[in-house]
Amino acid sequence: MALPAARKMSSGMSAGESIYLVEMLKGLALTMTHIIKNIFDQDRFRTVEYPDVRKSMTERYRGAHRLLLRPDGKVKCVACMCCPTICPAKCITIIAGEDPNDAAEKFPVEFDIDMLRCIFCGFCVEACPKDAIRMDTRIYEINAYTRQAMVHNKTYMVNLMDGLKPPAEEFYRANPDNAPAGFAGDEPAVPVGQPFVNLAAGAEASGAGRAR
Amino acid sequence: MTFDDVLPYLVALGRCVFAVVFVMQILPLLIWAERKGAAYIQDRPGPNRAHVMGIRAAGLVHTLNDVVKLIMKEDIVPGHVEKRYWAAAPVIAMSVALCTFIVVPFGDNFMGYQLKVSDIDGGLLFVLAATGMGVYGVMLAGWASNNKFSLLGGLRASAQMVSYELSMGLSAVVVFLIAGSVSLSAIAEMQAGAIWNWTVFTPMGFIAFVLFWTAAFAETNRTPFDLPEGEAELVGGYHTEYSSLRFALFFMAEYANMIVASSVTATLFFGGYNLPFVTPAQLREHADWVLMAAALAAPTFVYFAYEANKRKQRPFYQALPAGDARLKEPMVFVGLWLGAAVAHVGIGIAGALGLASKLSLNFISFGYLESTAVFGPDLVTAIVGITVLAAKILFGCWFFIWVRWTVPRFRYDQLMDLGWKRMLPLALGNVMFAAIWVAFFPTGLISTLFGSK
Amino acid sequence: MPKVKINDVEVDVPAGTNMIEAAALAGVEIPHYCYHPNLSIAGNCRMCLVDIVGGRAPEIACNMVAREGLAIRTDTPNVKKMRQSVMEFLLVNHPLDCPICDQSGECRLQDYYMEHGNYDSRGIEEKVSKHKRQDIGDKIVLDAERCVQCSRCVRFGDEVTETGDLRLMNRGDHTEIGMFPGERLEHHYQGNLADICPVGALTNKDFRFQRRVWYLRETASVCNGCATGCNIQVCHQEGEVFRYLPRRNDAVNKSWMCDHGRDLVPGIAGLNRILRSKVDGQAVDVEAALSSLAARLKAAKTVGVVLGNRATNEGNWALLQAVRKNLPNAKVYAVAGNDPGSVEFADKLLIDADKNPNSAGVRLLAGVDGRVGDAADLGSALGSIDLLLVLQDDVLGRLAGHGKPAAVAFLGVSKNATSEAANILIPVCHTVEMDGSYVNRTGRVQRLRRAVTAAGDALPAWLVLERLGAKLGAAPGTGMVATAFNAMAKVVPAMKGMEFKALGDAGLPLAVEPAAVAATEALA
Repeated sequence: MALPAARKMSSGMSAGESIYLVEMLKGLALTMTHIIKNIFDQDRFRTVEYPDVRKSMTERYRGAHRLLLRPDGKVKCVACMCCPTICPAKCITIIAGEDPNDAAEKFPVEFDIDMLRCIFCGFCVEACPKDAIRMDTRIYEINAYTRQAMVHNKTYMVNLMDGLKPPAEEFYRANPDNAPAGFAGDEPAVPVGQPFVNLAAGAEASGAGRAR
Repeated sequence: MTFDDVLPYLVALGRCVFAVVFVMQILPLLIWAERKGAAYIQDRPGPNRAHVMGIRAAGLVHTLNDVVKLIMKEDIVPGHVEKRYWAAAPVIAMSVALCTFIVVPFGDNFMGYQLKVSDIDGGLLFVLAATGMGVYGVMLAGWASNNKFSLLGGLRASAQMVSYELSMGLSAVVVFLIAGSVSLSAIAEMQAGAIWNWTVFTPMGFIAFVLFWTAAFAETNRTPFDLPEGEAELVGGYHTEYSSLRFALFFMAEYANMIVASSVTATLFFGGYNLPFVTPAQLREHADWVLMAAALAAPTFVYFAYEANKRKQRPFYQALPAGDARLKEPMVFVGLWLGAAVAHVGIGIAGALGLASKLSLNFISFGYLESTAVFGPDLVTAIVGITVLAAKILFGCWFFIWVRWTVPRFRYDQLMDLGWKRMLPLALGNVMFAAIWVAFFPTGLISTLFGSK
Repeated sequence: MPKVKINDVEVDVPAGTNMIEAAALAGVEIPHYCYHPNLSIAGNCRMCLVDIVGGRAPEIACNMVAREGLAIRTDTPNVKKMRQSVMEFLLVNHPLDCPICDQSGECRLQDYYMEHGNYDSRGIEEKVSKHKRQDIGDKIVLDAERCVQCSRCVRFGDEVTETGDLRLMNRGDHTEIGMFPGERLEHHYQGNLADICPVGALTNKDFRFQRRVWYLRETASVCNGCATGCNIQVCHQEGEVFRYLPRRNDAVNKSWMCDHGRDLVPGIAGLNRILRSKVDGQAVDVEAALSSLAARLKAAKTVGVVLGNRATNEGNWALLQAVRKNLPNAKVYAVAGNDPGSVEFADKLLIDADKNPNSAGVRLLAGVDGRVGDAADLGSALGSIDLLLVLQDDVLGRLAGHGKPAAVAFLGVSKNATSEAANILIPVCHTVEMDGSYVNRTGRVQRLRRAVTAAGDALPAWLVLERLGAKLGAAPGTGMVATAFNAMAKVVPAMKGMEFKALGDAGLPLAVEPAAVAATEALA
């Protein structure tokens, strides 16, 4: 089989362009125009000087999730599992329980969203049949020093509704009873360089290693 | 041992310190200019967060932060490198860059001493030789890193530098022909006086300048010829394995090379330390007038102060909470600019009083020191020379930055194509053209035709 | 074999087949609520209405017996309209409970609404409210509002358990399913009510709110609760088993299973499991445990080996092989009877008195071997045995009151009296964690399938014993369960011609041949 004939590489440039110099000067002129404009009118910049100036998000901005309450003060959520099912990041963990005194029968004993995993797609809001979860807080500063504090739990997300906006870490420190498991105040719960779970010990401790 | 015995050594030491300090002072400024220029070209504010007691100095403090950061960072020595050569590479790169500077004249003679580090006869040849050495730093870094990306970066750098050094040397030959000397001092002196004495304003000089300047981009590994560190394909190129101060040395060497390339170009093609239409002799003669002229800058500073005052109204300052250190920033700048204006007016008054032409050690010490040799005019000439050269260097460096943020990177085959197939023939032809031209107009076109110098 | 025609597709169906089944044979699905293949025909849901070609009016397919030349259509606009109307009618008073209803995901109302309903609601009146969340039995929660009055549960109570406990009461819109006041479900088959209920009216208390069904994966296996060997689906997610569902096999359990079988689910991941192998109380890995077991078996003067009534055929076969090839002096026993603590209940329907899933298999292999002692033999010899190797059965518990062997090695799933006394302990897989086969009380070889990963260090018993055989000297097996079964089937006359793959979902009955009579006599 014959090799394909060597093709002359064509740059597609005209003679004038192939000298580069003229085109170069054109480019330099363009960039210089920007510089001069920007020096004399610094308000042209669209940059938001973030920690000092904060952008206010639109109504439709998807921020941190909050859980809504019914008029009687209980969470609207009935643990139907639509949101963990639709969640593409698999960041929602709900443990359902039965409330014998409530007509809704089912309620979330635990409702955790791992904000480290969340991709803020808003599918959970779309999927909810009870309008129990919304992302309309417009909170976009979600950060913490530990992985545990990045888990927003039921109590925290319910409290976000009151316009209360402490970082989860602060909230958990103030309400240690409502902090997620493993959240330990100031120190990282898992020392750096340690494996997350001691698999051998963990399996022995929790029976078959997969306790419910 | 008398003072006169020690003096030559002191002078030599002073020259070296001056050359190093000169380059090292421009470096942070260039880094700042690179960032701010890039930002302004791209319609964003650029570095403006770091501050010292609320003074951000338009982002200059970031460079200070960088220095601290680079010093504090862990110096990682990867296990697979050839330690000795690997450690030597950044030192070579930086010291070669600084070495090149020793033959560049900063001004006309000061009290009989040349204003350059060493009066090497080779002059320009030394520059070419030293920049040729520069490739060793990059090559060693690439090879000693023992890493295929670094090696490729080093290979690219050496191939590219070798290719472009030819055109660069041939362009310099044109200047030799015109000046009849390889000494940079002589070349600078030759260009004193009228602006058309500058080499760049001769036909072959202009072509030589374009070729030399383009080759300088390749020699300094700057965009559009920064293929040795093409991060898209080579991670970091030859400095992939370097961190902390070793990386900083490479980083600074790049800027030092820019300064050197600009200073050599300024000297070869743009009259060096000479102001157009004013020879050093004229400067000496009218030193007082020069001082008085400095006062003309005062209104500019006042205008700057006015602008700085207006910045208080910007939304950024309006949004700051009361008590933020940055709130006093505009007033500090107003003070600085007004101070500069007052200083310049003062210099003007000094000129008007004719101080420059009386300046001697005897004069300064109110008669206590005996030396009555007047060095005022020489000092003014030297300062003007250094300032003019610095201005030309800064413009050259700015041009490097400007080009970097304007054009994209060449492809490697395009780079080689340009170097060998276009620039080299052009440079050769230009040398022949220059030889013929110089034979017909030995002292330059205008001088030859009109007989003026 | 009458030939019927469904939507232009002609099929031969067995005589007496109703048209829902006939249509299924033709690849046509006819939606239905009240029809259930193992219950009588009620015909009250009207969902299976079909057009008869040349007929006067539509009829219900469930009550239409196939006859020669019968032709029906399920794709006419008329049928579509009828289905839509029936759906609308059934949903008129159905509450929108889906978010809290356990049936979501396997609900006929949801499925058929999407397939055949898809109408816009015309409801403007209040829905009739009925009694919700009634506790009617140990296993069942009744929500009368969700009921579509198909009467499957009523017929189940009348025909299968013959307890007649659930009834439809009142009339019209107010028809409501319920129990007589003060009564509770008392039978052992309550779980089936939740299974046959096509909607969420009857839900299982144990599974209630545990997991959404769409997360669950199903693996066909066999219940290990008793000798009946009910066919089940193991429903599991990410290594965790959540429930057993009966799997229809008319030769074994029809569509039913007992509540005792369902109660075995928590034990799979329970605290009682043996997770690590131990030698004299020291945790070691399985290989080390097997090595010391092999060494001690060789060193011991009198070795007793007990086949496992709770172990698979492959496990028992591998044990027999390992012993017979390497330990000529060892005595092999099979101890019938139930482990202490197992449910003492039996009935005529499904629940057998023998709580071992594979007693028949052990009897079969013992018959082939010919030298296997029984419980009485072991009981008298127990005190003189140096090392007793036990596979899964709680032999020391069953033979409590007899002597104690000098040392015990136990390959087991859960902790019990034998594991407590064991000097060498090796974990083996639970039924749902491995492939294999059981022989049930009627002599049907049925296949297990691996549903979840093994807990701890557990390995399938046959694999452990093949490795033990290799350590004792015999050539190791191929390490594949199918090969192990096929090798056994070649030797066992009653299994002649069986292949592991051919067992399928329904299992195969043992062949009764003259040579195998001795082995199969006991099966009756």
